[in-house]
Amino acid sequence: MPSEPRIPMEPTLEELSAYLDHELDDGAKARVAEHVAGCADCKMRLDGLRQTAYAIRALPMETPPRTFTVPATSRRSVRWAPVAGWLGGVAAAMLVIVFGVMHLSLPPLGMGTAGAAHPVSGGLGQGAAPYAQGAPYRQVAPLEGSTRYAPDSALSASSSNSKTVMDAQSSSRSLTISTDAASYHASGVVTIHVTTKGLSTEEASSVRILLMRETGQGGYLVRLAAPSNAPAFPSDYQAAYSIPQMQLPAPVAGNYTLQVTVDTSDHSGLVAWLPLTITP
Amino acid sequence: MDDRDLVGRARRGDPEAFTQLIMQYQVPVYNMALRMVGRPDDAADIAQEAFTRAWEKIRTLRDAPFKSWLFQIAANLCYDHFRRGRRYGEMPDEETNKVIGLGIATPDPQERAEARERNRLVRESIEALDPDMRLAIVLRDVNGMAYDEIAGVLRVPLGTVKSRIARARAQVQEHLQQYPDFFPSTREDARAE
Ligand SMILES: [Zn+2]
Repeated sequence: MPSEPRIPMEPTLEELSAYLDHELDDGAKARVAEHVAGCADCKMRLDGLRQTAYAIRALPMETPPRTFTVPATSRRSVRWAPVAGWLGGVAAAMLVIVFGVMHLSLPPLGMGTAGAAHPVSGGLGQGAAPYAQGAPYRQVAPLEGSTRYAPDSALSASSSNSKTVMDAQSSSRSLTISTDAASYHASGVVTIHVTTKGLSTEEASSVRILLMRETGQGGYLVRLAAPSNAPAFPSDYQAAYSIPQMQLPAPVAGNYTLQVTVDTSDHSGLVAWLPLTITP
Repeated sequence: MDDRDLVGRARRGDPEAFTQLIMQYQVPVYNMALRMVGRPDDAADIAQEAFTRAWEKIRTLRDAPFKSWLFQIAANLCYDHFRRGRRYGEMPDEETNKVIGLGIATPDPQERAEARERNRLVRESIEALDPDMRLAIVLRDVNGMAYDEIAGVLRVPLGTVKSRIARARAQVQEHLQQYPDFFPSTREDARAE
């Protein structure tokens, strides 16, 4: 052991910064650590950089002001148009029913694939396939007996949690979603009312209801099935879903977004969403 | 995080799979754009455009990781935003925005006001960086990416990533040191506690 401790060479700004990020190789890392341990100036430099990095990391992750969507592009038109043409109005009347929980941070293959989405109007398996293929969703139907087909349901009229969106191309087309409350207990039941206006069975192909939750790192979503015998478009029905049956990942309490999408044959689509809160 | 299966399905035209990719990346991509351009509306436009382009082009994605590729698209859109002469826009009052993730709500209004002021200063100091340095520091300290991942997004050598992050931090630190209370413990003339 030398009589006088030999302090390694002064680290550069880049080395100190990379040291903080654990991005130095072992040799350089040891050298910086050893130097900093014996040099008050460099310890102060390092602390300053560390506090700066922490100050930036302390910026909150913001929630996007809107939900981003898969755009209706020419690419989709090319791909989907023949399918729609082939199946015609019958496919359009179909409501794909799927219900599942997916943790987006997990590889989807790890999730149960027992039930792929299935078409509800008879004999349209091929029509449903593009959405269902490989979709690792489990299925749960709306609560038994909860479905109502009521053109003038009181729910949307009285609901404090309701949203109507118009088609940008045609204001006569609209989609309204309402829930019977904005906040639910974790053991509660969510009743959803979906109404479309101005959409014929030729124009609209499917309704998809997603309950989504974002965390700082990705998020997850639950698909809520439309009722199995929902009428064709224009559509107007309500259905109830049990929150425990959704098997939401813990902690269940939190802020969610309910998103309803109607795919239209001209690919403009209608998307409406509502905030939902689940309390412990 | 393995999104290869989702990417594979999206490449075959499955919009459901792509929706899941959006769910997975919308918060990080939006926040990257937000810290780059400042204004929530602009950032949301950039994020949506990035997803649109990614969906249109996903068939051209070969072996590159989807995440780096997506962030590359979003980063290019941020640069386009500046090239069009759009300036960095200051956020509206952040308290009106719903905040998720790292933001820890403190019940004390004064503490909250102080945290808000600190965040404002940090945003201001990031804004003062040139876009190359800002992007490097945002990918590192906002998005938490490793250096090699950042090199993949920026398509620059690792050494360049290292140097941009270091210089960005030094500049941000210098900027924040103008405010006497920002780093109380490192101030030479810090008041006795
Ligand atoms: Zn030193």
